[in-house]
Amino acid sequence: MTRIISFLGQRLLFIVPQLFGILLVSFFLIKSIPGDPAVLMLGPMASTDAVVSLRTKLGLDHALPIQFWHFLVNLVHGDLGTSWQTTRPVLEDLLQRFPATLELVTLGLLGAIIIGVPLGVASAFDEKGILGRVAGVYGLTAGSLPDFWLALVLIFVFYTILQIVPAPLGRLDFAILPPPTISGFLIFDSIAAGDWAALGSALTHLCLPVLTLSLINAGPILKMTQSTMDRMLQSDFSRYEVLSGLPHRMVVRHALRNSLPSIVTIISVLYGYLLGGAVLVEIVFSWGGAGQYAVQGVLNSDIYPVLGFVLFSAIFSLIVYLIVDIVYVAIDPRIGR
Amino acid sequence: MDKQRLLRNGPSRMDEWMSTSSTVATPSWIGTALRIASARPSFAAGYIIVFVAVLAGALAPLVAPYNPIEADPSQFLQPPNRLHWLGTDAVGMDIFSRVLYGPRIDITIAVLGTMVSATVGCLVGAWVGYFSRAGNFRSRIAFLIMRLADVLQAFPVFVFAIALVASLGQSIQTVVFAIAFVNIPIYLRLMRSQVMAIREMRYVEASLVAGMSDMQTILRHVIPNAMGPALAQLSVNVGWSILLTAGLSFVGAGVRAPSPEWGSMIATGFQNVVTGEWWPSVFPGLALAITVFGFSLVGNSVEVFGDPVKIRRLIRDVTLRERTRAARRRA
Repeated sequence: MTRIISFLGQRLLFIVPQLFGILLVSFFLIKSIPGDPAVLMLGPMASTDAVVSLRTKLGLDHALPIQFWHFLVNLVHGDLGTSWQTTRPVLEDLLQRFPATLELVTLGLLGAIIIGVPLGVASAFDEKGILGRVAGVYGLTAGSLPDFWLALVLIFVFYTILQIVPAPLGRLDFAILPPPTISGFLIFDSIAAGDWAALGSALTHLCLPVLTLSLINAGPILKMTQSTMDRMLQSDFSRYEVLSGLPHRMVVRHALRNSLPSIVTIISVLYGYLLGGAVLVEIVFSWGGAGQYAVQGVLNSDIYPVLGFVLFSAIFSLIVYLIVDIVYVAIDPRIGR
Repeated sequence: MDKQRLLRNGPSRMDEWMSTSSTVATPSWIGTALRIASARPSFAAGYIIVFVAVLAGALAPLVAPYNPIEADPSQFLQPPNRLHWLGTDAVGMDIFSRVLYGPRIDITIAVLGTMVSATVGCLVGAWVGYFSRAGNFRSRIAFLIMRLADVLQAFPVFVFAIALVASLGQSIQTVVFAIAFVNIPIYLRLMRSQVMAIREMRYVEASLVAGMSDMQTILRHVIPNAMGPALAQLSVNVGWSILLTAGLSFVGAGVRAPSPEWGSMIATGFQNVVTGEWWPSVFPGLALAITVFGFSLVGNSVEVFGDPVKIRRLIRDVTLRERTRAARRRA
């Protein structure tokens, strides 16, 4: 146990300089994007005086390192700056948008696991069977489809032709009032408020983006399951089990048990990646999530939303990796002894 | 070639196998390729897809029936028909011609970006791997480089790439640069871990004792022996870079709209798809998906060719097929 704690401590110690590095790089990168926020805020017709006074107000007249220092000082006080596009504090914006992305990404990843792991096991269990062949083809094609294109095709089929899902515009129907925000996750909030209309609307809006993310991300999970299972079934303990005459089903179950650490690893990597990687799907469905917020920020030289997003996603990945380290201890008896 | 070892272990490399196989009188590359293709049709499919895509891009000016950036407003949103095989988009540009021109931009950007990142990543990675345990000033620099790679990899890739393009100005060169930049850490890590193992080999020691300098040893002995995994990564990486290029153009941070680029074509057709005109987006997307698929199949084959265990399995399959076929012919 002490070893785990010291391990986690080392992790935390390392994360501070890393977060600093990430913020430093993104600060100077976004600052180097041409376009003066003061000019963009006031519009092209503003007088020079107005621009100069706004620049002073925003602290833009200081040298870059000093601006970065101010940002860090504010950050320590819990102030992430203000977005000039939404004219709201970035922290508020992110607290509202981050759950939207997280809800989408989490459900998408769950779907991907439900598709990917059984298919991967099936292809190892029964290579010549129908499931095994489907898995083989899926494993080959997975990873070649652009997610934003798949989203469009799904919209065309299910919205335009079949008309069984709502228009790809946000998380709820326009006619439905969002339930009072508790967690920011619409599913939880609407259940907590007992608002079944909102729950139904949220679920139907989630259908297509979640399906898109599931289909795309099942690929890597499937491949990892396939290759690890393959390796496990070829290793000595599996051969010994086969030679001892254990049923095929049991051999596969033991191989799967031993493949779990690699499968958990790929899932955690995908989780961290998807937070920013689901941007294109968010844009297609006008999701209003954190990724879309950051991209808008980059495209409009709005620096604080981008820095806030980068910070949030780095911290999120950190939490995911910490959880994974704890899960490793639970599923692999060799670790933590 | 060591006959004894061959007899004991069986062929483990392509050239050994080619020269020992009895079915072909004189081993030729074409014959070998055909034999492999019969056992692994997906490999052949990959090379054919990549070849066709490159050919389409190269011959587009000769083959395309229309100018890819010339709009004919009277012919807007025509469904696929005899004049416009894949239909026209919202401003009346011919989609078939534009899809044909696509590889010129997408594959060029992806290949250039991958090449730059592989070259830089492999050289720096080899240097870092070679000196990381040296315990002197250079090992400290190596440590710093790795921490920098950590920082770069902690970024959300897509947001980072958009920011790079936005800060350098939108052009094909900057998209290439952005793609190269986000891919460098992959090669850096692959190469570093390989080189750290190879660094301990006797032949590296021998080379140093024989009077070669560190740099000469790295370039002549370390890099060639550590290249395998990086090479296997190349083709898959090209496919992935094509997806990234298209994604950048889709959000408007990559290649600008009238250029015939698959991602921006999908983006401009977006609104039409919702109202039922599917062809402006679906066809470029299909072309994109098939091309990426081709590159990943080629990547699979390279991975098999570079792995002695997998190549042995492949050779076993090929021989098995040929034997059963021969047996059937005899019966």
